[in-house]
Amino acid sequence: MEAFKHLIDTLSKPTILVSFTFLIFFFIFPPTDWFEKWHRRLKFDGLWSVKSFWIISVLLVGFFVIGLSDSDFRAIMLKPDNVPIAGLIFLVFFFTWLSMNQAYNNDKLIEAGQPVDEQYDAPNDKVLVWPDLVYVELITIVLFSAFMLVWSIGLPAPLEEPANPSESPNPAKAPWYFLGLQEMLVYFDPWMAGVVLPSLIIVGLMAIPYLDNVKEGSGYYSFKDRKLSIAIFMFGWLVLWNLLIVIGTVLRGPNWNFFGPFEFWDSHKVEALTNINLSEFVYVKGMSTGLPGNILLREIWGIILLLGYFMILPPLLAKTWLKNLFERLGVARYSLFIVLILAALTLPIKMYLRWMFNLKYIISIPEYFFNF
Amino acid sequence: MAEKKGLLKRLAEGQVWTSIFRGGGVPKSRRQRMMVVLNSVFLHLHPVRLPKHAVKLKFTWCMGGLSFFLFLILTISGILLMFYYRPTIEYAYTDIIDLAEQVPFGIMREIHRWGAHAMVITVWLHMFRVFMTGSYKPPREFNWAIGVILLLLTLLLSFTGYLLPWDQLAIWAITVGSNMARATPFIGSEGPGAALLAIGDINFVTMSSDIRFALLGGRFLGEATLLRFYVLHCIGLPFIIMIFMAVHFWRIRKDGGISTPV
Amino acid sequence: MSELNEEKQSVTVPPASPPPAALGKTDDGSQVTRRTFFSWLSIGWIAFVAATGGFFTMMLRFFFPNVLFEPVQTFRAGFPEDYQVGEVDLRWKSKYGTWIVRNGEGIYALSTTCTHLGCTPNWLTAEQKFKCPCHGSGFRKTGINFEGPAPRPLERYRIVLSDDGQIIVDKTKKYQQEKGQWGDPEAFLKV
Repeated sequence: MEAFKHLIDTLSKPTILVSFTFLIFFFIFPPTDWFEKWHRRLKFDGLWSVKSFWIISVLLVGFFVIGLSDSDFRAIMLKPDNVPIAGLIFLVFFFTWLSMNQAYNNDKLIEAGQPVDEQYDAPNDKVLVWPDLVYVELITIVLFSAFMLVWSIGLPAPLEEPANPSESPNPAKAPWYFLGLQEMLVYFDPWMAGVVLPSLIIVGLMAIPYLDNVKEGSGYYSFKDRKLSIAIFMFGWLVLWNLLIVIGTVLRGPNWNFFGPFEFWDSHKVEALTNINLSEFVYVKGMSTGLPGNILLREIWGIILLLGYFMILPPLLAKTWLKNLFERLGVARYSLFIVLILAALTLPIKMYLRWMFNLKYIISIPEYFFNF
Repeated sequence: MAEKKGLLKRLAEGQVWTSIFRGGGVPKSRRQRMMVVLNSVFLHLHPVRLPKHAVKLKFTWCMGGLSFFLFLILTISGILLMFYYRPTIEYAYTDIIDLAEQVPFGIMREIHRWGAHAMVITVWLHMFRVFMTGSYKPPREFNWAIGVILLLLTLLLSFTGYLLPWDQLAIWAITVGSNMARATPFIGSEGPGAALLAIGDINFVTMSSDIRFALLGGRFLGEATLLRFYVLHCIGLPFIIMIFMAVHFWRIRKDGGISTPV
Repeated sequence: MSELNEEKQSVTVPPASPPPAALGKTDDGSQVTRRTFFSWLSIGWIAFVAATGGFFTMMLRFFFPNVLFEPVQTFRAGFPEDYQVGEVDLRWKSKYGTWIVRNGEGIYALSTTCTHLGCTPNWLTAEQKFKCPCHGSGFRKTGINFEGPAPRPLERYRIVLSDDGQIIVDKTKKYQQEKGQWGDPEAFLKV
């Protein structure tokens, strides 16, 4: 048992966990034909069968049952505000499975030239709202109300100590649905993590219907015809959103250090986290000179890097790797698409730079509150 | 008198009942069942007939409906909570304790709190379902955008509600949140570009004129903050979200009802 | 009813002004030409936008009251002898949000507000650093940031001696290291 806990703790180290997720992710949700070939060769398409559902569910439940026998894990999961997270883990898995299962079924039907599951023959296949839909709604409402009542009676709403402006709780966590944002705040300055990136998330979500110009797959579950858009959405939703929330809830402990799920939250755990900026890398470590006094000269490398990333990389990709996509989307769609994708990718890039090189800012101009 | 009618039947055919529910009696025929929906302002949110997959939980997950139902639960429980809660630093925390210990059926706050958590989850899952069925594709692009705004408003409602108990969780969540606002480019006093909006030594965007100040009602977290968040939570944001919800529901119908394979 | 009739009549009256210029009549200035019509229209629109803008500006201004009710920002912190060399003093932390630190040369007053997102860091004596529990920023005893996401050092408050030899800390005046303000004589009290 201790060996198992130790293994889980080791696997939960952010570098290992996140790297593993990134590596495996696009083989589970293949964005291109090449990935799909490997997806089938690695037998990942079996994930969405009924058998896999039961296996994974048992594993998940088993993990929680074993986990809850551990006092440290119990302390995290049974904190009232974290209970919805445990629910969320199961719900996200269940609904991902449910949608992918139906999508793969429909894909098979389309391949065989048959109508998809949702196909209906209007107006013969129409049903009446009264009583067919009203029935479903009534039963759902009754069951859900009962569920809410049981939940509310069984679990008191959390109330911490009275507000005290001089003592921050340790760790001080936002409500769980903002923990993904809070995780971003570690790697970015507040104006990026708190303002620019959330705005881009909103804009990006709203832009989805205008960017995705594949006509197939409207009104029914499917994967094959829209694999690129589903893979990207899943990456944002499952990894950059839900996984970060789970990391923020389970793995972040006192002083915002990383802890394994079965590790004791020692508030005196010391981690060497001395961060340096890119300018210090170049001038102090690289050239062994001091930082230049001129702000522009000091930060020129970071500015070049950032401009290259957002200005040079998109046309370069359009000519080479993303040529087909560029032709399909056209200039306007492609530009918006690539800027949003690149902006989203700055998050994992900065995470790795931090974990591997302790790099803090690529551009650091605290004089004007401009840090990137 | 050939047959004696039962009380229920007489009621159902009486003047009072038929004046409220048109159509007469229990709807049995196809026509009567359609009239039930058409004659009710509430049921009229729905069309009269639906494609058959629209009533299958496997397809819809019922998440949109549950989100709306949760909104109703939260509105009602929220109104009830307002009868006891006073938004001042002196009383807020103790009123919350009273709500659990002194008020009969002291689970109203639990229903409100857990309902809020549940609504965040159902709204997310609703978005997920709509994405996976490709239901954002033309002609429903704009309604998807409305949906994203509704998601944002749900999160904002949740966030403003967090402050009200005035406990440790509350003030630190708001401290962090409002300091993020301070870092907004140009309109936050510590955001990039704010220092450029100045004439000589006079800064226009300072601690007492930036967006954080507007949120907090002062330079520091205090009495004014609690009141502002209370008003936003109870009136401001619900008002906005209801407008967007109306547009969202109306657009579903106008864009052709639930999405179907073409 | 009579009003309605009057309106109806005024509508049926044939136009007094000559037909538009397009029909061949010369422009004598008394009629609405296309050009004047558009300039009136633009004035109308500008006025409308200005009025609406002004209204929204007023609404915005509404959120910034003229008088604030805030706690006092200046306090007396006792005599310099009350503070030991090399120690971070926590006695004013909860009441005034200030750490008083004395080193070999003098005394300075540090703000207890983390420069990242405003949480209150804890002083860890064993590790000789301020550590913020919210996002893990770390500051040295001087207030210089060295780990975590904090973008800049802690701020220092104005610190001076009063006539009776007591220390006065004035929180309305702040000194930021990255702007080179810590060299200011009132940012550091020489003892």
